[in-house]
Amino acid sequence: MHEAVANHGVIFGLDPLWLAVSVLLLVYAVVMMEKFNRAVLSLLGAGMMILGGVLTQQQAVAGVDFNTIGLLTGMMVIVAISQKTGMFQYVAIRAAKAVKGKPWGVLVMLATVTAIFSAFLDNVTTVLLIAPVTLLITDALGVRPYPYLFSQILASNIGGTATLIGDPPNIMIGSAAHLSFYDFLVNLAPIIPVIFLVTILMIWVIFGRDLKANEENRSLIMAFNENEAIKNVGLLKKCLLVLVLVISGFTVAHHFNLEPASIAMVGAALLLLLQTWGEPLKDKDHAFEEIMAEVEWTTIFFFVGLFIVVTGVEHTGAITWLADKTLAMTGGDFNATVGAILWISAIASAMIDNIPFVATMIPMIHDMGPSFGGPDALQPLWWALALGACLGGNGSLIGASANLIVAGFAQRAGHPIAFLVFMKHAFVLMLVSVVMAHLYIYLRYLS
Amino acid sequence: MIAAKIMIAQPKTCTTDEQVGVVFDRMRMQSLRMLPVVDADGVLKGVLSTFSVLGRIVPDYIVSGDLNAIAYAPDLGLLRKHYTTVSDQPVAEIMETTYLAVGANESLLSVAAALIGFGKHEYALVVEKGGRLLGIISAGDILDSLLQITEDGRYSDA
Repeated sequence: MHEAVANHGVIFGLDPLWLAVSVLLLVYAVVMMEKFNRAVLSLLGAGMMILGGVLTQQQAVAGVDFNTIGLLTGMMVIVAISQKTGMFQYVAIRAAKAVKGKPWGVLVMLATVTAIFSAFLDNVTTVLLIAPVTLLITDALGVRPYPYLFSQILASNIGGTATLIGDPPNIMIGSAAHLSFYDFLVNLAPIIPVIFLVTILMIWVIFGRDLKANEENRSLIMAFNENEAIKNVGLLKKCLLVLVLVISGFTVAHHFNLEPASIAMVGAALLLLLQTWGEPLKDKDHAFEEIMAEVEWTTIFFFVGLFIVVTGVEHTGAITWLADKTLAMTGGDFNATVGAILWISAIASAMIDNIPFVATMIPMIHDMGPSFGGPDALQPLWWALALGACLGGNGSLIGASANLIVAGFAQRAGHPIAFLVFMKHAFVLMLVSVVMAHLYIYLRYLS
Repeated sequence: MIAAKIMIAQPKTCTTDEQVGVVFDRMRMQSLRMLPVVDADGVLKGVLSTFSVLGRIVPDYIVSGDLNAIAYAPDLGLLRKHYTTVSDQPVAEIMETTYLAVGANESLLSVAAALIGFGKHEYALVVEKGGRLLGIISAGDILDSLLQITEDGRYSDA
């Protein structure tokens, strides 16, 4: 099991296998404690892999998936510029007014808007933009914000599952398995509206009957002037143009052998150019620095460190060993393995950060390739991992970063979301969504 | 000079069980920005100020800064809606229970220093030992008394 391990010695005579696995587990554990910045932890872990002799620097750098990093960074830049236009608030208010301020209609509309935005933007960004407007709308309606925020948490994770760019696990899976935006759209997107509809129906059963607002409060919703939300019409047009180009680019990229990161980075550069077109250089520089400050560098560097840590574990052969054990557990049965990947991913993602989990699972699934007839046969496993990791995030308040962001807003607004209260309904809804995902995978790929 | 000398004795007050709306209307009619809140025995329980009313009608999600640049919201309608709710509540529900209380024999300098240190209101409430309200001193009262003495051309620390 140690043959693949590095070539430049291990300090203090430590066994590379145990060192690599210990570093991975330590990074997992300390990240979960939420006492330190997670990017710092993963970079420290990466450093230990190199200094500990598990990887050479060249191997470490080669282990970083720059397609994932480029796609994330490019989309973060596009979103950072787009959110300055106020278009997301505009859409949220239009949605609430479209149903004439009827409380249940508003919940469905805001959840739908959240799900659609989450499919094309980062989930955290989506809820950062929608949740505060939701507090305002529910305040005007005179209804409890919890059912609305609850539905938006679920909608963001469900919507994010639909596309390659909707959730970081999908970006990682797409890059590692060479699955295009189009592949995700064709294979994952069809089940997402079904899961979303069933989830909304169950939310109706839980909260629907309690949502009532009087005429006066509803008229307050109709008094919102959504046009005032648009802060910069010129920039809005540029953002919409670039967003359309980028999403179109994603859908056709595979025909031209282009990676999604290239599309996102070119889109980001184009929007950076357009947003300050015609302005003096000093203003252009200032705007660029402002946007760079809004990129989530913690997430980017967390990924960089994590890729190196997982590469280190992979080099020791530990992941191959884990893949063999999983196959032994499922008796080498493909259907059982798909089911195991889906359910383990879902349950694990409800409890731990799904990014390191998926980072560990990717090489494990790669290692299963030979047992199942090569990489092409692995597609159902990739879809199982994506569905499990993304939908699993709904299982608890700590299941996804977006959940914690919404909880933070609720807390500051004087409506704290209790961990167990959330989990009581959310975990059941998550299980139902994974059952639907399992049925979908079975009917589409395994039967 | 001691607090008792310059305080406004028997100031206007309200009681804990009065409705906020009724008291607030009274404050507006009399151009008052703050009223001491007392119980039936005249014991000081808190203060009701325009600031405490405002604090209750501006939603927490706006105060926290989570939602800014909200020109699209019907702000007057929202504030009015919250005020309608708050105005029906008894004063005890929204009064501030942190206030500056000083003794009647405290020196003017220590009252002035306490006002600066407190920083929240520009009023000090003068109370006797059991907490019964005796009077009220504002920062303005301290400066007014200073000007009066100066204009008279004499001063006394008695």
